[in-house]
Amino acid sequence: MKLSKKVVLLGHFGVGKTSLFRRFIDNEFSEDYKVTLGVQIKKKVVEMPDGRELSMIIWDTEGHTDIEDTRKSYLLGSNAFIYVFDLTRIDTYKNLSEDLDYLTKNHPKVIIKVIGNKLDLVNEKETLKNLEELNVKADCLTSAKTNKNVQDFFSELATEITA
Amino acid sequence: MTYQEEKLIFNQQTQCIITAHDGEIKETDANIFSWKTGTSIYDAHPFFEIIKGFLETFEEDEDTYNFPCIHLEEGKLEKICDVTIKIKVDEVVILLFDYSSKYHELNKIAQQKNESVLKAKELELKNQYLIDKEKFKNSFIANINHEIRTPLTSILGFVEVLEKTNLNFEQEELARIIKRQSLHLNSLIEDMVDISKIESGKIKIVDERFLFVNLIEGFEETYSKLAESKGIEFETYIDPNIQEYLIGDRTRVFQIINNILNNAFKFTEEGKVSLSVTKNFQRTNKLSISFKIEDTGLGIHKEDLENIFDRFTRFNRDKQISGTGLGLAIVKNLVDLLDGEIKVTSEPDKGTTFDVKLPFKFEITKAKPEKKKKKYSLPESKKKFRVLVVEDEEATQFLIMKVLISHGSFFVDVAMNGEQAISYMERRNYDLVLMDLQLSTIDGYQATHMIRKNYGDTVISEVPIIGFTAKATEAERDKCLRSGMDDFIAKPFEQEDLIHKIVKQIAKKAAS
Repeated sequence: MKLSKKVVLLGHFGVGKTSLFRRFIDNEFSEDYKVTLGVQIKKKVVEMPDGRELSMIIWDTEGHTDIEDTRKSYLLGSNAFIYVFDLTRIDTYKNLSEDLDYLTKNHPKVIIKVIGNKLDLVNEKETLKNLEELNVKADCLTSAKTNKNVQDFFSELATEITA
Repeated sequence: MTYQEEKLIFNQQTQCIITAHDGEIKETDANIFSWKTGTSIYDAHPFFEIIKGFLETFEEDEDTYNFPCIHLEEGKLEKICDVTIKIKVDEVVILLFDYSSKYHELNKIAQQKNESVLKAKELELKNQYLIDKEKFKNSFIANINHEIRTPLTSILGFVEVLEKTNLNFEQEELARIIKRQSLHLNSLIEDMVDISKIESGKIKIVDERFLFVNLIEGFEETYSKLAESKGIEFETYIDPNIQEYLIGDRTRVFQIINNILNNAFKFTEEGKVSLSVTKNFQRTNKLSISFKIEDTGLGIHKEDLENIFDRFTRFNRDKQISGTGLGLAIVKNLVDLLDGEIKVTSEPDKGTTFDVKLPFKFEITKAKPEKKKKKYSLPESKKKFRVLVVEDEEATQFLIMKVLISHGSFFVDVAMNGEQAISYMERRNYDLVLMDLQLSTIDGYQATHMIRKNYGDTVISEVPIIGFTAKATEAERDKCLRSGMDDFIAKPFEQEDLIHKIVKQIAKKAAS
């Protein structure tokens, strides 16, 4: 039987959740911003290092400035949350710590990962320094546009959720 | 009945699907999607995989889950549905409500709202980027200005010293070239600093009362010599109806006209250059003056005239005429700052005419004669005065020592930094201190502040201090005076100016 895991992309609007979703699933990128309404769901089968196949069911949710506005039913049955923020917009990560607390409190068994996206628009060294000063801890910095770190991130996540 | 026919008859906006717990579709009305009975709902769309999880936790009776706004697709068919899933003991009931048109409407509103927020943020970022870039540029120009002026001071100073030695004709000529090129480099730096100050809004218009005719006579004097050396004519005309004394920013007016005249001479190899100054109109105590600068030089092509005031715009490159292309950009900016107007007309090979209109004021009451620059002399002509030079640049130390010692009225000590200067002053009485501002450990401002504050009524605290620096800005001058210095001199300095300032301060101190 194929393994199947549900992963939900969360975060403010315009941070690049859909771009990451499209980059991971279809290896595509578009500069046009199209708002996501509700949720779009796609599946990608990835091969695990041990040879097993994993169906990653990715839920790309609409963005909210307040995590509590996310429709609760979307989070049901999740195996992982990917909290995405925009490295160029401090508004999208200034409440990161509170948002993560909310998710941990309500979904204690779900793995939570944090991604800082749009790495192509910033200076990586300077950004890392700024994030450290603000005590913002990201698991990965990505660029959906250039595909930097995107595939590696999802591969590592696949391993972690099946461990 | 075909599926399409069924859709037309039955409710097209809802669909009911009944599946077994293993996902097999038992029944469907196929109103929206045509997933067939006998196939697995889990293969229909990845959304339905969520049911597997619900079944794992299902215990008894019936569980209902509602999912609003789910994007579902079947081939090319895309719908946005609200989905209700009812888990029952022996089956799963899935209800789809197609609200695509409602959600698409909402989508438009959300798109506009989010786009406007993102656009505003993008503009904010771009703005910040431009501010940072501008800051960087200005600080770069200020720093490079400092770095270039310091060695330039030494070059110009030593050339002046060299010129006073016994040189043969060839050496004299070489020294003259070094001086001319250094002065040219200095004027280029000034242009760069000026354009940077104008663009960052740091140029202040300072109105003063001045003898207008003197300004024009100054041009006459300078450019007549140049005209003679180039074998061309230079004509000037001043409207006799213009008041003798005017109020305006003399320095900036000089800069504007001088820049245009300089260009006119650069590009005129034969014929003449003329400067005509006339009164346009006068109302109460205000008047507008037109400065018309005409030349019979190379001229400018019509298509180039549009860009003539842009930065780094240079025409006639093939003529090997030096320049940065900043001069006319500075002129235009300064004219705008003074609320004036500038127009240019030109014809290739015939010449160019610049017409600058600038506003001035004048005093309606009878003008007082202009105060003449007071001439100071050292209090005791035979006495030697002791000057402490605080400077860490060896070349500048040497230059100042040379200038002061050659003058014959000064003894000179040199301190490398503020700390050393204070320790020298504690041991020896000085008549004056020349204080560089950028020093290691204690800088010039701090050292001055300490000299003024920490030594009460002693001789040390009252020593005249002249600050000197490569940062020739008004802000720097104010900072020097605020820190307790008596005067300020910018690098590169004229030797005469340096001696004048030193003598002035010593004379003032003696008189007090």
